[in-house]
Amino acid sequence: MSDIEDMLSVPEPKVDTERALARLRARVDAERIAPVNRGASGPRRIAVNVWVRALAAAATIALVATLLTASGLAETILTIFEPKQLVAVPITVGDLSGAPSFDAYGTLTWTAQPKPYDVPDKTTAARESGMTVLVPSDLPAGIGAARYGVMPKTTATFTFSAEKTKQAAAAQQRTPPPMPANIDGSKLFITGGPAVVAYYDDGTKPSGPTGATGASPFTGMPKLIVAQGKPPVVQSDGVTVEQLQSYLLAQPGISPQLAAQIRAIKDPSSTLPVPIPVDMATSKKVTVQGVEGIFVGDSTGLGSAVIWQKDGIVYGVAGTLTEQQVLAVANSLR
Amino acid sequence: MEVADRLRLATAPGPGVPPAFEDLFRREYQRVVAIAHRVVADADEAEDVAQDVFVSFYRKHPAEAHYAAPWLYAAAAHTALNVLRSRERRAKRDVVEAHRREDQAPDPAQAAETAETASEVRAALARLPDRSAALLALRYSGLSYEEIAAALGLRHSSIGTLLRRAEDAFRREVAR
Repeated sequence: MSDIEDMLSVPEPKVDTERALARLRARVDAERIAPVNRGASGPRRIAVNVWVRALAAAATIALVATLLTASGLAETILTIFEPKQLVAVPITVGDLSGAPSFDAYGTLTWTAQPKPYDVPDKTTAARESGMTVLVPSDLPAGIGAARYGVMPKTTATFTFSAEKTKQAAAAQQRTPPPMPANIDGSKLFITGGPAVVAYYDDGTKPSGPTGATGASPFTGMPKLIVAQGKPPVVQSDGVTVEQLQSYLLAQPGISPQLAAQIRAIKDPSSTLPVPIPVDMATSKKVTVQGVEGIFVGDSTGLGSAVIWQKDGIVYGVAGTLTEQQVLAVANSLR
Repeated sequence: MEVADRLRLATAPGPGVPPAFEDLFRREYQRVVAIAHRVVADADEAEDVAQDVFVSFYRKHPAEAHYAAPWLYAAAAHTALNVLRSRERRAKRDVVEAHRREDQAPDPAQAAETAETASEVRAALARLPDRSAALLALRYSGLSYEEIAAALGLRHSSIGTLLRRAEDAFRREVAR
């Protein structure tokens, strides 16, 4: 027996399951591979799935934001998160999809839902958002005229529920750590926006089909997007950050890597984590508009983005452009 | 498409892989890689095998299937063996080709020296009948008799005998 064991012995392979899962997801997406039971469920089910997942993703971002809390002062309403700087947090696709839905921990009540709408021009966008809307003076050749959208200020209240958590975990046959008594029933007040987004289509081509059905992630994507908005702010009615952080980061589905990244943020109450999907993109620090920003390049070399925060506003420029082009547009915003 | 729709789309991820499949992947990936690695003795190749195995399961079977784990283990062993065999065929062709070019017979002393190397062991494994090779791959990846029986569709009571035969055949192939 043991001679065969010796002959067949191999060093223990070091595997990164989350990275491997991300690779599989990318392949499934790229090759449009459908799972065996999806055909039968029909388009309606898929549509619902998209929204469930969208909600989960949005909730994950809110969850991450919620984690970025600082002091445990026992004030009635405590601003626990108000970002003043940005930091890149590498995530895998698995981190996003594996993270538990916020929904499973309590009830999210929108007091003002995120309802983006189109506006005819920059002046209207500025009036509706209450912000000074910056426009680029340096546009690459072939870029068409801008169209504007406004996302009004969005507010929501989240109430933690130990009972709901228990039920959700049971339904998924998972056993999360028990919710501490003082988190149960506590409330978070989440504010996001307003935001203004300007879209520039490729001036040389008519607008393509919608992005929902295209094979490439860039199908239907405008050539250039310029966005600006008030960063999200999270307030708490008393729950301390240490409790929230240790409770939430210990949940099944939060990878140890992601948890470590979030714990490593030095000034969590004022740092907005910018998730960088490591399987699809790379990031680096750049100087933009005289401040530090994060440049994100997708691994296909087709798209670039830069994001920075200045004077209380988060700005982003993204497009199917080169790094130089994107930075030139960003630096020309006035 | 209007701006508002685009904003909504930008925040909506695609339908993606169902959570049940992701759970299965997280549960079994390491073991599937370990089985493939035992056969091909190359970590990157083993991960490629594991990807193919999970994709083909994803295409044909629901993630909740009770047979998911044994199916994955068996597929890992068989797919890895296929990789190993085509690698052996390629290597053989290359050697023949090299000798023809150099017009020189293989050095028997050197051949004896390398007979015990890992690649020879893998070549021996590749020459075994499929079931015997799969049995060895699964057993030496730490699967129980019960798990092997489920994976290869064999009776639990026959695993011991089949395994011994496979081991004997393997020793003979290595000594060849």
